[in-house]
Amino acid sequence: VSGRSAQPPVERPGERRMAEMKKLYGEDAAKIQGMETAMQLTFDRNCDKKQPKYWPVIPLKL
Amino acid sequence: TISASGPVDCVDLRSEQRARSFLRERYLRSLIAMVKRNVKFTMYEKVKVDAVFAGSDIDILNFQVEDLETPLGVQKEALIRCPDVISYSFEIDSSL
Amino acid sequence: MNEWCRKKPLEWQVYVNKEVKVTAAEQEYQGWVFTVDPVSANIVLVNFKDGGKASIVAVMGHAVEAVDVLREGDSSMADQLTSLFMPAGARSYSR
Repeated sequence: VSGRSAQPPVERPGERRMAEMKKLYGEDAAKIQGMETAMQLTFDRNCDKKQPKYWPVIPLKL
Repeated sequence: TISASGPVDCVDLRSEQRARSFLRERYLRSLIAMVKRNVKFTMYEKVKVDAVFAGSDIDILNFQVEDLETPLGVQKEALIRCPDVISYSFEIDSSL
Repeated sequence: MNEWCRKKPLEWQVYVNKEVKVTAAEQEYQGWVFTVDPVSANIVLVNFKDGGKASIVAVMGHAVEAVDVLREGDSSMADQLTSLFMPAGARSYSR
């Protein structure tokens, strides 16, 4: 990273993903992203809190 | 992953985006409706298990489940790899 | 990646509201197509039962070998499918 810390980053986090979402989903991008964010947050939080282990331990399909 | 197809004109891109968001929104809603329900998973190697669905990552690579009934007993918290799964099923009340 | 997973959203959408038979890993699944997830190509089938119940089966996109259309759905089937996962009170939703 450059030393020009006063400058805003060229690309803000999430901006790239929003651009991708726009390309895929057009005018509905915000709605789909909203639904996905909620779902991913729940998943991440549950995994953090409950520490689920993979079942089966070894993948059935490699 | 997915990408918009090559050089398409504006109308084609729009209709592809509309179709994609229509299909995706429906799929996400079906996953939300599945939360807290008993789900039967049919997996490779003739494995069939029941569990309570708790969530999925948005790339549909992992299902997070509870009370997974494995052949060796109940696993309270588990992750199922989606590539291990052939199909899954559940029931809902559809009366309006 | 199989042929089913390589399809485009507009091709998948053609199957919505139709009754199909899906072949996957030496098994067959039948039902009305609710959606095909454009990310995973998972296909969600619905069978409406007596007593207001519906059974939902989703076949993972990576496992799909063939999808055969058995019947076209009418507008009442389309409406039933549309209202399936809508939260109560949001049933006026349409596209």
